Amino acid sequence: MMRPLVVISIAAFVLAMLALFLVKHEVRGLERELALLELDRQRHVEAIRVLRSEWSYLTRPSRLATLAARHLPLEPVQAAQIRWLPQRPAGLPALMTPIGGEGGS
Amino acid sequence: MRDLAVRRWWCRYGAGAPNLRESGESARAQRLERARGRLLTTGVVFLLFFGALVVRTLDVAVIGVPAGAVGAGAGGAPQPVARADIVDRNGVLLASNLPTHALYVEPGKIFDREAAIAAIGGVLPDLNLDRTAALLDSGRTTALLRHDLTPEQAHAINRLGIPGLWLERQDQRFYPQGRLFAHAVGFTDVDNRGLAGIEQAAGDELRRRAEERDGPLALSLDIRIQHALAEALDDAMTTHRAVGAAGLVMDVTSGELLALVSLPSFDPKAPDRSATNARFNRATLGTYELGSTFKPFTIAMALDLGVAALEDSYDATEPIRVSRHLIRDHHPENRWLTVPEILIHSSNIGAARMAVHVGGERQRSFLEALGMLARMPLESSERGRPIAPRRWSTHSTMTIGFGHGIAVTPLHLIAGYAALVNGGIAVTPTLLRRETGMHIERRRVIGAETSAVMRMLLYAVVAEGTGRKAAVPGYLVGGKTGTAEKAIGGRYKRDSMITSFVGVFPIDEPRYAVLTLLDEPKGTKETFGFATAGWTAAPVAGAVIERIAPFLGVPAAVDTGESEEEPPFAERRKGDDGEQHVAL
Repeated sequence: MMRPLVVISIAAFVLAMLALFLVKHEVRGLERELALLELDRQRHVEAIRVLRSEWSYLTRPSRLATLAARHLPLEPVQAAQIRWLPQRPAGLPALMTPIGGEGGS
Repeated sequence: MRDLAVRRWWCRYGAGAPNLRESGESARAQRLERARGRLLTTGVVFLLFFGALVVRTLDVAVIGVPAGAVGAGAGGAPQPVARADIVDRNGVLLASNLPTHALYVEPGKIFDREAAIAAIGGVLPDLNLDRTAALLDSGRTTALLRHDLTPEQAHAINRLGIPGLWLERQDQRFYPQGRLFAHAVGFTDVDNRGLAGIEQAAGDELRRRAEERDGPLALSLDIRIQHALAEALDDAMTTHRAVGAAGLVMDVTSGELLALVSLPSFDPKAPDRSATNARFNRATLGTYELGSTFKPFTIAMALDLGVAALEDSYDATEPIRVSRHLIRDHHPENRWLTVPEILIHSSNIGAARMAVHVGGERQRSFLEALGMLARMPLESSERGRPIAPRRWSTHSTMTIGFGHGIAVTPLHLIAGYAALVNGGIAVTPTLLRRETGMHIERRRVIGAETSAVMRMLLYAVVAEGTGRKAAVPGYLVGGKTGTAEKAIGGRYKRDSMITSFVGVFPIDEPRYAVLTLLDEPKGTKETFGFATAGWTAAPVAGAVIERIAPFLGVPAAVDTGESEEEPPFAERRKGDDGEQHVAL
């Protein structure tokens, strides 16, 4: 009477062990993969740090000034080159008439 | 084997041992008894042994190793950095921790020295080969060959496969902008401890941010302005053969410093290789008697207290003699001067009389309210303490009226000007970026009307006074020059001067103040031999304003091309276009 129960229990136990072992095995594989990915991520983060420094170093103003002087025909902006809308150049029509004013000055 | 042993044991004891027939041969029974005992012992030992094996197998296979242990053996896993990055107000990187390697050598383990040196030299071209050879022959067990190897170099060294060489990972601070921010940002030692500047003052904050991954620390400085200021000052230093220079750009409403320059500068990566003189922060630590740049404070004080009105005049007909000292003007007008004239002609006599008119006690409390008598708050350990007379005599009142007898840092001066022109509110200088909406303590030091008058007076100095060289076509600039003889060994030296200029723009609605200071400038042919502030410090400020105003979004005042003769301020004050912002 005890026999079938014992056999079934043992079989179930063995099966459970096997399943647990397989799952555990898979989990360890995934964990290893995760750790490698994390390592990879950290290496990339580090590489980005290095590259950001490199970029900052290469775009330092003194170097850009030298390069611009060598390769570009540009010069620093003068105040006269900038117009703000209310101070329209003479050739352009007024955008709006000043309130209470008699038009242009 | 286990099954066998167990079964035997089971057979004999578990399932009931067969009853031995009582034979007469007791000797046989005795032997059997002994054998049974042995079997029992062996069985138990085996059982324990295999039980332990089972437990261990389960432990290894099912319970398993901690997850973190996986991959730890891969080597060279990146470590978290010790300090957060420092960026400027636009996010440009100013300081960062980078992974580097230090190369060590164990001379005893190297077989072929010549070949090893040649191979290392191939990877590190700038390595001193003779010094390396000497190091290898020195008989030491280990020696440091190089700091700060890049990852590529470390990899190449590894690939050489020379025994006796080993690499150690280090987390090192780097300053991509080099000397440009040396005084503002400061530097760290090899163990990532801040030793100067922001690195020292905000050390805890930087470590906290690194730990909590809270992003970089944003400064108030702007790299474009910093560069423009540093370049202009450097040029002026060369032209005028000055021994040093300092410059500051401040947002007059928030107190944020947009640039902080002290020259000569140094390499923050190798601060010990530079002169102490270069490491000295002239902008925030150096205290100077600044001379005439102090006069606006005297005038603002007199006007604000109602002691004098703009139309009032002071007697500047002849020098004042106080005890052993003589106060005189550099460009004597020898007449009574109105308040604006005192500033425009930079009259020492007039400022002295005005100071006395106000009185020493009130002068002292006014300067105290401006923060001129104590260390300026700033996120830096290099903050100079002003030198003021302990006993505030009439003589001190007079000399302080025109900026002598009191020594303050350039930082004090620019903060004072900010309060004079921004409507009368004292500002707290800061090197950290203020977020919009951040609470700023507002403390009024002079009235808004006085501030408006000061703006007009400062404009007049640039328009028709000593600050003419700071005028920038198209922008409204106001400011004041200051030329002071340096006190060396208790005596003023005629030929070594500190020249300074504080410019404010746009002066009708001030946003920014620019301070330039030159230490011992000399005259040149272009300046007709003059080394005064109007010829040395003011043009630098003008050049800086011209460069930075366009990208700061400061509106140009008038059409510059057509109406250059007419003072732009007058044009604006007419308000004929109906778009003018501030009436002065």
